[in-house]
Amino acid sequence: MDPAIPAILRAVFGYLFLVLTVRVVGRRLGKQLTPFEFILIFYLGGLTLTGMVGIEASMVNAITQILTIALCHRGLSALRVRSSTAMKLLDGVPLILMETRGWRTDTLRRMMVQDDDVMNVAREQGIQDLSGIRIAVLEAFGQINVVPCAPQQQRQNP
Amino acid sequence: MSHNASLKPVGDSVPKIDNELAVGEDLDFQRRWWRFEKVVWGAFLVIIICDLVGLFGRGWLARAEVSTPDKAFSVEYEWIERANTSSTMTLRFGTAAIRDGKVDVYVSDSVVQDLGAEQIMPQPLMSVVGQGGNVYRFPANGGTASVRIKLQPVTPGIHVFRVQSAGCVPVTARVYVLP
Repeated sequence: MDPAIPAILRAVFGYLFLVLTVRVVGRRLGKQLTPFEFILIFYLGGLTLTGMVGIEASMVNAITQILTIALCHRGLSALRVRSSTAMKLLDGVPLILMETRGWRTDTLRRMMVQDDDVMNVAREQGIQDLSGIRIAVLEAFGQINVVPCAPQQQRQNP
Repeated sequence: MSHNASLKPVGDSVPKIDNELAVGEDLDFQRRWWRFEKVVWGAFLVIIICDLVGLFGRGWLARAEVSTPDKAFSVEYEWIERANTSSTMTLRFGTAAIRDGKVDVYVSDSVVQDLGAEQIMPQPLMSVVGQGGNVYRFPANGGTASVRIKLQPVTPGIHVFRVQSAGCVPVTARVYVLP
């Protein structure tokens, strides 16, 4: 077998495996990086590199693998633009964490987000308490966005 | 000056909440994704457990031994190997396999080519090539003896090897090399 083919296949597999793993691990990865998530990213990258490069530490191998990953990335990006399903699969969808009727506890639990995380973002926007939040959304790219209530719409605190 | 750029009317297709805020939440998709995630985490766990017990090589379940019916000659090896990862194959000779202070053993070419034999310990007195393999001769002074072959397979796949000690029936086994 041509030794270049496994190297390229390894690169494709490594890329797709990382895409799946990072997508499954959680969406806080790209945004709001905590020290924990820094460790995860560097560790995943380093470990993938070991298997992808193998014993072929040549410049040719590096270039062909980089080009392969670039092509894969371009392909996934094109797919993402053309298909809304692919976009949802790759990026996820925005999720409402809190709405007028209250917290979406199931979403909070499954996405491992705490109400304190929402309140942190709210405070950054000058919102003093939960009654000032009209809706809180966990965006597909991992950021929590808070839409404040209009002053006359503020909910009564229990 | 002409404007030839194709234009699409501005429209808002993102689902709204309370008919007002365009959030684009798709809870049905997300619930399906959560179910998929659960399956993936289960698969990750199974993979890790399989690795711990040696089903991907280098562990308890990866070790195997084949021997002749009279146990005069046996081979310890790993039936699951990993590519570019070293392992050891041990050939054990009983007293019946040692004759006139020496041991002759035939090792098929696949041990060198497919399983990547890198080193044989101890060094043989002599080696003869032919018949799809090599015959090695080692000095032995009675009792039991063993020879170790350091392997480092390169090509993933299923490889069959054959070893035979002089005066014993041949021993054949299969090795699965994972990428």
